[in-house]
Amino acid sequence: MKNSVSGRRRFLVESGKLAGGGWLALNAPMLLAAGHHAAEQQAAHGAWVNISEDEAAGFAAVVDQVIPPDDLPGASEAGAVYFIDNVLGGFLAALAPLLRQGLQDIDRRARDVSAGASGFAALPFDQQTAILQTIEDTPFFENMIFLTHCGLFALPSWGGNTDKAGWKLLGFENLHAWQPPFGYYDAQLLAGEGDHAEG
Amino acid sequence: MQKDRPLAVFDTRREVDFVIIGSGASGGVLAKQLSTAGFEVVVLEQGPYRRAKDFSHDELGVFIQGEMTSHPLWEDRQTFRHTRQEKAVVHSQGPAPALYARGVGGSSVHFTANYWRMRPLDFKERSLLGEISGTGFADWPLSYEELEPYYTRVDWEIGVSGAPGPFDAPRSKPFPVPPLPVKSSGVLLEKGAKKLGLHAQPAPMAILSKPHNNRPACLHCGFCMGFGCEANAKSSTLAAMIPLAEATGRCEIRPLSTVFKIETNQAGRVSEVAYFDAEGAPQAQKAKAVIVAANGGETPRLLLMSESSRHPDGLANGSGLVGKYLMANGHSAAYAFFDEPLNEHKSVQVTRIIHDFYENDPQRGFYGGGGIDARAFIQASPILFAQNGLPPDAPRWGKAHKDMLRRNFTRRMMLLASTTSLAQESNNITLDPEHKDGAGRPAMRITYRDHDDDLAMMKFMQDRSMELLEAAGANTTWREPVVPETVLAHLLGTCRMGADPASSVVDPYHRSHEVPNLFICDGSSLVTSGRGQPTMTIQALAFRAAEHIAGFARRGEI
Repeated sequence: MKNSVSGRRRFLVESGKLAGGGWLALNAPMLLAAGHHAAEQQAAHGAWVNISEDEAAGFAAVVDQVIPPDDLPGASEAGAVYFIDNVLGGFLAALAPLLRQGLQDIDRRARDVSAGASGFAALPFDQQTAILQTIEDTPFFENMIFLTHCGLFALPSWGGNTDKAGWKLLGFENLHAWQPPFGYYDAQLLAGEGDHAEG
Repeated sequence: MQKDRPLAVFDTRREVDFVIIGSGASGGVLAKQLSTAGFEVVVLEQGPYRRAKDFSHDELGVFIQGEMTSHPLWEDRQTFRHTRQEKAVVHSQGPAPALYARGVGGSSVHFTANYWRMRPLDFKERSLLGEISGTGFADWPLSYEELEPYYTRVDWEIGVSGAPGPFDAPRSKPFPVPPLPVKSSGVLLEKGAKKLGLHAQPAPMAILSKPHNNRPACLHCGFCMGFGCEANAKSSTLAAMIPLAEATGRCEIRPLSTVFKIETNQAGRVSEVAYFDAEGAPQAQKAKAVIVAANGGETPRLLLMSESSRHPDGLANGSGLVGKYLMANGHSAAYAFFDEPLNEHKSVQVTRIIHDFYENDPQRGFYGGGGIDARAFIQASPILFAQNGLPPDAPRWGKAHKDMLRRNFTRRMMLLASTTSLAQESNNITLDPEHKDGAGRPAMRITYRDHDDDLAMMKFMQDRSMELLEAAGANTTWREPVVPETVLAHLLGTCRMGADPASSVVDPYHRSHEVPNLFICDGSSLVTSGRGQPTMTIQALAFRAAEHIAGFARRGEI
């Protein structure tokens, strides 16, 4: 598992996707050089590039509170933590201190609730929910909601949305061509059964 | 057809016929028209030269990071305030206050491509309705009839899909290609309209429904608003005009060229345009004449930056109106869930519109008019939908949140109303006295608060939108309060045209009243805001201006 993930990540780094360079490659050689430097730094590390194992566990617990597992994957299974690891080494690096403080804060709250707990991730799901309800409006949790959504719904080349799990949840497909009918109501019209056709 | 390198390369010391600043909706048209007419043209574009192959469906890069619009690496900060009594705040997150795209083709690359013509009344509404005190409400120095042939050129040369609606102004030629296939949102808008006695009509869109002018038809991929078209089916100037300009061998598109000053000589004429090149080195391109087409925000900013002893208040600013009368159009929205999937993420943003409320109606008690369209908006973008697509009282995380995302991504619909903005001197573009951009240029300062009539019109249209959604059979509807605009995607009126040098910046042919070889042609030229979709009119003006400017040049009148 670890090997396949780091293999995939190495591919992303080498293909330039992980840095999220995009337009940088087009016409701005100086900026592109800066982007490559960051990507090389990332490639030198292991499975988690910009976060620790403990932080990864904390993030996994929080993102699974935002989008919990049911018959479809929760956010961590859908790759949201890999996404977070990636962007904390990229365009959201400035967010890292806030997120680290937030994780420490919920670990502290977890130990207040359950003295023996090693941290937030070790608590039962419902106790985690109760803690997050008390910090719902903090910048930390606002950002975690945002990062969970990005990790689930951005292009998989950003490191998350594994097997397009986020898009499957929504019923979204990233195709480059569609044909009408696009939805139920225009299909109904085309079939001559809609209100429009009757009226 | 497109080449990897520019076909024409001009030395900066060569005095070319025209430098055009900006390659967007108007600059692209002017470049094509003047180069095909035989003139040498250099186009200075601050953004990069992206082509269809460079565009993607990367919502995180394009929308969240603002790759084309407000990416921090541009280091081109803006400041915003509602009134001059406030201190303008530096924009740091989310869409920029003056929202436009950087790159060859400008905002025509990322726009939604709604192409409404204005109507005869738009050009003479001041005469029809009388003065509106405290505003710069004025007639245009030209009529619909005069502009109509150029609207038709936009239809055919840019490429507009559509079919005439019941309230449309007369047209001299049919649309070149039929409307795009109706989406579920269009069908539902039509259903609601019928129940209420209103009239939904096919949306005129600058996206090809059929192949036209050697460009392909839309593939319905759904990534229009905010994205560049990978198929060249969206009729940006990048797709429709720039290749024709370059093919003449007389037009050089020079990307990553950030203009900081238009230089004038002792005779009071424009002599060269100073800019930073891709490496940040200062350059200056000599030209016989200059056309500023940098958009209604950047154009006045540049003119104000181009002050000199002869032009102490900025270039072409004898009237004092450069930057004033900024109009952005008003917007208000209503949202709904329906029982069955609409799949708004497929195909173009808009397929049906309602123009029953286009005209001013004295019975409303305030000035204004507008249109309503059914559009996907953020529904086409999974991240933005997850962040903002659910009703305000919906759970924002947890199992119930997941269930709502799962059920409603395909079932959500939005109606957007676009409305008039009154010209007010207090709404304007100025140079920020404190903040500078990464190139050392004064930051653009935007001061903007919608007129009370504009806000009333937005609210009126939102009420109608709610009624339409109910009539269409929505199971849930909601809206957000109408508030003054803070993100301006339409930048209009800041160098208005007119016959009188005391009350306008350019004459009816876009020549500045003060500098004979300086022309200004873009959204800044508009005298009134129209009803919310200005690009069609901006480009009709550009086709018309190019014809007159070419005539002046040929006759030695520049």
